[in-house]
Amino acid sequence: MQPIFLLDLVSRHANWASFRQATITGNIANANTPGYKAKDVEPFTSVLDKTHLEMAKTADSHLDIRSNGVRDSRLNGDETWGVTYSGNSVTLDQEMLKAGEVNRVYTLDMNIMRSFHRLMMTGLRTQG
Amino acid sequence: MIDPLKSASAIASSGLEAQSMRMRIVAENIANARSVGPSAGADPYTRKTIYFSQVMDRTLGSNLVKVKNTGLDNAAFQIEHDPGNPAADASGNVKMPNVNVAVEMADMREAGRSYSANLQMIKQARSMVAMTIDLLRSS
Repeated sequence: MQPIFLLDLVSRHANWASFRQATITGNIANANTPGYKAKDVEPFTSVLDKTHLEMAKTADSHLDIRSNGVRDSRLNGDETWGVTYSGNSVTLDQEMLKAGEVNRVYTLDMNIMRSFHRLMMTGLRTQG
Repeated sequence: MIDPLKSASAIASSGLEAQSMRMRIVAENIANARSVGPSAGADPYTRKTIYFSQVMDRTLGSNLVKVKNTGLDNAAFQIEHDPGNPAADASGNVKMPNVNVAVEMADMREAGRSYSANLQMIKQARSMVAMTIDLLRSS
């Protein structure tokens, strides 16, 4: 039988979504900080396409490298809805929209995970 | 690395703290909108301002927000002619605070909006965690 990579994929996607949620929350918290530039994470497809070799942390003085391979990128002016006089490029409406989208994909991930888990459990139960 | 949803809650609560501090400064300004100086010709209450800055948190790996400092607005005081006021100088003029109540109300509204945006993010992170935990329940 072929191993099912679906659950691995779903958990990676959920991890990406929760990382994006943290980034959006950072934008909203800094909505009134002068000079703050809105950030977003790379799209999931581009994260998936790249395979990273991870660096190991062998001494305490080494910096913590984010282990999930997701990096955040700074948005340039034309991707955000506006830059205020203070140089802040966060628009609350846009961030709330993005947060809603993250919530939607996360719900989808969890529902996929649940239904495939139920599928496997059904298979196990009928065997015995 | 800490769980991103946990750090999202921590970031949003730093935002809540910053916005409530801002609300406090607005309240102080409005409360003292007519506070004159203690003696004749003395300076009245000076409008306070607040500055935010982002701080990188190493353990969370994310940008928190904090109140950098509160400062004083150096706009000119309003002069009113009121000889009967104890704080009036020799020519009968009283220095009134440089607080514009309309500006303060606008600032208060914006602080309230930002506060509820941060609160919404906490609610959303919590519902995502709850969704994950619910995976265990349905089997």
